[in-house]
Amino acid sequence: MATKRRTTILVVLGLAAAILVAIWKPTVLIYGVQQAGLYAAIAIPMGLVLGIVHIVNLAHGEFMMIAAYATYFACRATGMDPLIAVLPAAAVTAAFGWVVYKLTIRRALKAPELNQLILTFGLGIMFSQLVNLFFTSQTRKISLDYVSASVTIGETSFGVWQFVFVAVAAAMAYGLKLFLTRTTLGKAALAVGQNPKGAAIVGIDVDRTYGIVFAIAAALVGGMGALFLTRSAIFPAVGSPFTMKSFSLVAMAGIGNIPGILGSAILLGIAESLLRAFRATRGWADIVFFVLIIAVILGRTLKWRKS
Amino acid sequence: MILDIDRLETGYGKLKVLFGVDLKVGKESVGLFGPNGAGKTTLINTIMGMQKPWSGSVKFDGLEIGGKATHLVARSGIALVPQERELFPGMSVADNLELGAAWVPRAAGIAKRQLDMVVELFPILKERLRQYVGTMSGGQQRMVAIGRALMANPLLLILDEPSLGLQPSIVAEVFERLALLKKDVAILVTEQNVRESLKAIDRGYVLENGAVALEDTAAGLAKNPHVVSAYLGI
Repeated sequence: MATKRRTTILVVLGLAAAILVAIWKPTVLIYGVQQAGLYAAIAIPMGLVLGIVHIVNLAHGEFMMIAAYATYFACRATGMDPLIAVLPAAAVTAAFGWVVYKLTIRRALKAPELNQLILTFGLGIMFSQLVNLFFTSQTRKISLDYVSASVTIGETSFGVWQFVFVAVAAAMAYGLKLFLTRTTLGKAALAVGQNPKGAAIVGIDVDRTYGIVFAIAAALVGGMGALFLTRSAIFPAVGSPFTMKSFSLVAMAGIGNIPGILGSAILLGIAESLLRAFRATRGWADIVFFVLIIAVILGRTLKWRKS
Repeated sequence: MILDIDRLETGYGKLKVLFGVDLKVGKESVGLFGPNGAGKTTLINTIMGMQKPWSGSVKFDGLEIGGKATHLVARSGIALVPQERELFPGMSVADNLELGAAWVPRAAGIAKRQLDMVVELFPILKERLRQYVGTMSGGQQRMVAIGRALMANPLLLILDEPSLGLQPSIVAEVFERLALLKKDVAILVTEQNVRESLKAIDRGYVLENGAVALEDTAAGLAKNPHVVSAYLGI
């Protein structure tokens, strides 16, 4: 199918770019892939919600931010390692996602999609402002030794901790694929996404399925929040750039194509890391995503016009 | 009585569409005829919980189902083949059929048996189990929709305009299959093609302007002067 061909093209392009860069500047490749893992691990849950059941959630990054804050305070209070908090953070964020779905999002589902966009955009602003109000905009960080572990091969030395994001992203993509193709609930999620009316006719509780899928995505991004805290400082606005980048990745991979998000992320991660490698272009790195998303949308519009 | 509808009234906004409909389906095959706008689809939507009744009752297998959520009605044993089919276009025939049985308690543990029955009824589906439904012709999709409904091992099968948009040879085939089914499952079928469907049903209702205008056996309807002039076009 079209999505399969798309995935193949993305993977081939990604590999070609990777090999070229690897020969020329290995650290660019390594950091690019690591960054890609982080982007993909955050974008894949959005890919599930947006691509499979077609809910636009512009508060996606804020879910991660909230989970990171909850983890931060839990870790400060008990002295535990954020890594141990990954699963509890996922569980708590899942419950939070379920409540947010029940209270707000389900009410906007029958209205035109613009309503979801505005609703979740507003939720995102509300979440970050609430955190700002209660905990100030001060950055917070937990220092961990293992995060700075590095490896030296030949003349190149680089940090290895961030590879954990690559592993997590790959595990998420594979796990979700299994969930959607092998389990009754996963197939019900696909069915609800493709035809909610048809799904109700065969006995699927459409509302509950939306809620569960939303909660699963919240759980995944919540777990990522705890993991994110191992490496980065957090502040109330830390999530929102990830919302935009996740959105770009999901759009670039093609709606509904979860493994493609990984490919797109690697492409963009390396491109970003490449720009960061030179002083002259360093400031442009954040633009790569958005130039690409504009190009993809323009390309699609032109193709659509032609046909 | 499997389905017992009593003085059912409903509508959209201020517009009343059904004016006290009485309809019963036992272990038999029942036709529901009438011109466009008579309220056939509204009646079916009300049975399926997609439309709330204003008054009156809808009893299924002895229990009131009027106003219940669609998925609960489906789980209780009514399978619908909608006019627009409402399949899952990006999934295979096998997945579409599987989903027909997956959420209905009556079909728990017997999906394999139901699948054998469905592919025996529509042999063409057996060769196409891996094909995406969205790539199939309208007639084949209609078969998938009927197959999906049968997977649920329903007590009552409702078909809304099963011959809509089909070429005549397939219409005849669909009704042939329906005639085979009627000994195992109660059937309620709405149809514009009255001539073909009279061969497959035991009894029929004529719905006009939101009320039952006529109720008779298939043979009686075929002879009724009003039915002959308005629906059989002789």
